Amino acid sequence: MAAQASLTTRNAWAGYLFVAPCLLMIATFFFIPLGMTLWMSLHDWPLFGARSFNGLDNYVQLAHDDSFWQSLLFTTKYTLLVTPALFIAAFILALVVQRPGRWSGLFRTAYFLPVVIGMSAASLLWVWLYNDQVGVFSAILMKVGLLDEPLEWFDTANGALFSIVAMVTWKMTGFTMVLLLVGMQAIPEDLYEAARIDGANRWNQLRYITLPLMRQTFALALTVSVIGSYLAFDQFYIMTHGGPQNSTISVVYWIYRAAFTYSKVGYASAMSVVLLLILIVMSFVQLYLLRSDDNA
Amino acid sequence: MNTSGRATLLLGASLIFAASACAVADDANNATFWVRMQDSSVATPLVKAWNASHKDQISLTVVPNDDFMTKFGTAAASGNVPDILAVDLIYVPQLAKAGQLTDITDKAKALPFAGTLSKAHMRLANSGGRQYALPFSAEGSLLVYNKGLFKKAGLDPNSPPKDWAGIEADAKKITALGGGVKGFYFSGACGGCQIFTFTPYIWASGGDILSADGKTPTLDKPEVKNALNFYHRMWSTGQISAGSKTDAGQNFINTFLTGKVGMVGTGAFAIGLLKREHPEIDFGVTPFPGEKGGTASFAGGDSIGIPKGSKHPGTAFEFISWCLTEPVQVEYFAKNGSIPVRSDLGKAYVNGDPRLQVAFDAFSKGQAPYSDKFNQLINDNNGPWATMVQEAVYGGNVDAAVKKAQTRFTEILAGK
Repeated sequence: MAAQASLTTRNAWAGYLFVAPCLLMIATFFFIPLGMTLWMSLHDWPLFGARSFNGLDNYVQLAHDDSFWQSLLFTTKYTLLVTPALFIAAFILALVVQRPGRWSGLFRTAYFLPVVIGMSAASLLWVWLYNDQVGVFSAILMKVGLLDEPLEWFDTANGALFSIVAMVTWKMTGFTMVLLLVGMQAIPEDLYEAARIDGANRWNQLRYITLPLMRQTFALALTVSVIGSYLAFDQFYIMTHGGPQNSTISVVYWIYRAAFTYSKVGYASAMSVVLLLILIVMSFVQLYLLRSDDNA
Repeated sequence: MNTSGRATLLLGASLIFAASACAVADDANNATFWVRMQDSSVATPLVKAWNASHKDQISLTVVPNDDFMTKFGTAAASGNVPDILAVDLIYVPQLAKAGQLTDITDKAKALPFAGTLSKAHMRLANSGGRQYALPFSAEGSLLVYNKGLFKKAGLDPNSPPKDWAGIEADAKKITALGGGVKGFYFSGACGGCQIFTFTPYIWASGGDILSADGKTPTLDKPEVKNALNFYHRMWSTGQISAGSKTDAGQNFINTFLTGKVGMVGTGAFAIGLLKREHPEIDFGVTPFPGEKGGTASFAGGDSIGIPKGSKHPGTAFEFISWCLTEPVQVEYFAKNGSIPVRSDLGKAYVNGDPRLQVAFDAFSKGQAPYSDKFNQLINDNNGPWATMVQEAVYGGNVDAAVKKAQTRFTEILAGK
């Protein structure tokens, strides 16, 4: 008994030791910066020059800042567009590459490749693909006779938004596909076999086995996608610069502008804190709604 | 992992260590010097020449144009500033006001050539009678036009437009050539480009965007509205290609290089670029005209100063004054196609090319607005200046756009 206890204690210590590096990393790169952000959000903190404590002033000001709420609204619109696009595309791709076939490895890699290049690099790449002078998209459409002159993809608010959604779908579908693929492959083959014996067709198998059993996978993929979309910055900063006429400014873009254009770092911190709270609440809601029946 | 994989990893790791060791050694002894990308072609040989002839070494860091203030702001906030800073002259008032630059008034006055230094640079680096920076590089804005297209359109290539009506008339004739040729171009979604190539039209007509002390906006004056209407007329009658509306500066000079644009506002740098890389384009340059004649130009470039907290202020000032000496100005600036920042050295730059004379004069007589909120007002592509140009030129409602910008300018200048 005694020996067992000491073994458990020893194991426990070993366990702590093993997670220590990870905890240290999280503390250094998450909790300490988070604490500093909170601290800064309570100050009038310019990029250059002296700072002073101003309590909750930044938060009060934020409540009345229309531009912030507008950017949040725009980011929500973007999220509502990009998330279904990602899910539908990723689900179809996951179905395509699910079964081990001769080419499935190749296709999985091909679909996943855009994920491994950075968002900034992808944005730069697409900015030139969309470019009116040297871009490939307009050139192809003109070649096949659909256009007479180059299309200005970013020249209306919706045009710019849809162009960015297309880029992000290309860039991130592979990631969602992998998440869904893991969930799909975790479903035991017996279930499908039993269903086939009972006469279920492909569609019924998908409807009554695959989709319900992937609920938790969907919850994970949805949460990841929503958080990612709310934090979108690079694509707007690089591809549209918030244009045309400031119609594509996401929340993080606005935070960046507050900090580095208006040099109000304290105010930008307050916005970051509010955004964090909003994301925490939204993630809880999503995970709650998509919880598995066993835990309900 | 196989052996070759492991070897690659080890090699990579040791290279990173070696590189970081070098970086540390560099920083410990050398003075650091930050410059924006735009000036790197001048600064790189310059620093090389300094290091070859001086004991105190300098290491150069080139920062992308758009990220310069962000990077310097972050550095200043963490107390890790470069020893020498060459920054867009327009930002010096803001940096001086925030106490980020060392006062160099006495040393600057003692320079034997102090009287010849660029007036625009000196004015913007002066705050409350104290001098916080000196000129480093110069750039003047002007109108460049394609002589080949002028000839084809039946215009005299040696008589560029002298007023706005002239620009509009010439643009129409050139656009009429067809085949994708357009009379005029400008980068419509770029605040910095507009201050450089659009305000000169306002200045040449007697207007301005800010009062002389930089504290009151004057956007609602007729000269500003007229200039916006002038651009709007050219846009709505099709003298400008559609890409202008979303161009945040990427195609600032590119469209002219295609040989399909008649006239475009640009900087002196374009003369060297065109001569070097596009000898097939026969071009001329002329100052920006006002509505009914007159001329104006934006005098830009970089100022060089010593950030507060510099660890090598002595070396820093030595380097700054060395850059301004005649041999350096001639050898590394003028002969490199960059306008010298001393009024007595124009000859070495012009070197017999009348187009460079136009550029030198444009710069010498040019002006730049003084404001410690320049970034928020003007350079911010989502700010009130860029938004006003967008709404007025492409939207057409000039009065509403101007009114909105005037209000927003007033708010920003009041610190809101």
